[in-house]
Amino acid sequence: MIFQKLYAATGSWDTVAKAHEKSFFDFEFITWMAWTWQTAVFFIFIALCLTGMILWEKKVPGGTPRRGILSLDTTRGDRLFISLLSAAYIHLVWLGLVDASLWFATIISVLFSIIVFRYV
Amino acid sequence: MNKTINQRAWLFVIPVFILVAFNAVVPLMTVVNYAFQETFANNVFTWEGTRWFKQILRSDRFHAALGRQFMFTGVILLIQIPLGIAIALSMPKKGIGVPICLVLMSMPLLIPWNVVGAMWNIFALPEIGFLGHSLNDLGFDYNFTQQIGDAWFTTILMDVWHWTSLVVLLSYAGLQSIQPAYYQAAEIDGASKWAIFRYIELPKMKKVLTIAILLRFMDSFMIYTEPFVLTGGGPGNATAFLSIDLVKMALGQFDLGPAAAMSLIYFFIVLLVCWVFYNLMMRNEEQK
Repeated sequence: MIFQKLYAATGSWDTVAKAHEKSFFDFEFITWMAWTWQTAVFFIFIALCLTGMILWEKKVPGGTPRRGILSLDTTRGDRLFISLLSAAYIHLVWLGLVDASLWFATIISVLFSIIVFRYV
Repeated sequence: MNKTINQRAWLFVIPVFILVAFNAVVPLMTVVNYAFQETFANNVFTWEGTRWFKQILRSDRFHAALGRQFMFTGVILLIQIPLGIAIALSMPKKGIGVPICLVLMSMPLLIPWNVVGAMWNIFALPEIGFLGHSLNDLGFDYNFTQQIGDAWFTTILMDVWHWTSLVVLLSYAGLQSIQPAYYQAAEIDGASKWAIFRYIELPKMKKVLTIAILLRFMDSFMIYTEPFVLTGGGPGNATAFLSIDLVKMALGQFDLGPAAAMSLIYFFIVLLVCWVFYNLMMRNEEQK
């Protein structure tokens, strides 16, 4: 993974405040953003979602608008937005109130997005 | 006849795309990266996972700042929206009074935020300010730099002074677009003043009022400069709204990780409210 090589100091506390050697992919114009592979995966996931939506739109144009259970006029894009925003809130509520693993919140979010894409 | 497909116009979008990328997307990505790490400086970061989110979501300080923020936004909406409508209703409909009123109304909107803060700071100072001095002369024990209630009073008064005219101008535009036929019909029916307001003017103003509420909500929810210059968040933390608290955390304490987590939570609140209002506006549009 290139993103692991971006920062020598992302590993642990041992590396704090020690000079890190420039690795092959250590470009100044991107390393200042303090990338980690986890956040990179997150943004790649968002980018893939958007790409997927473009491909879906090419295949079935029009966005299948409908009026769902919230009595809102939604298209596919609206449903994606609602899913992502609710996923953010589900994760935040989980972090704020529950101490169990965050993966449960992720599972709930996925299930919730399926419901959103079916019924909203 | 076949229409030629020419997509080259999309190239004109590139400058905007680059601009948005550099002033919105790249900083936002950086904030997301910061929110999961700890740093002391020198671009050295350590992974902390979701620790900052947990810490912020469970901290009394954040709850208090959020509470103050919602209270401030609620209070100024409760004052500005009815007051704005009332002023718009009492403004002249035609004649020389119209431009005079409109210019007077738009004056506060043209003043920069920090100037408004500085003006009100001096205006309200208990010893030398006109407002502060007069209130003390009248027998009120007024000192916005020391008393919580006075600080809130001054901050709210300042915001009402600065932004009510926005509601006035929008409501006035909504009122002006009502056809005279509606009023004539109401007159024939012998409708009361209240009935005219309730069944003609208010429904016709619904669309602009939704926009006014959205704008006032967002502006007051993200308010920073005016209270920062006026009270600096004080006395104590009494007027430290969300953005002031955020800057204190990010720049005052240099806690970049927790501050990044806090700004993401802030961002999600703003995003949700925007979405709700967007849908309300779209629904209004449909009813037209």
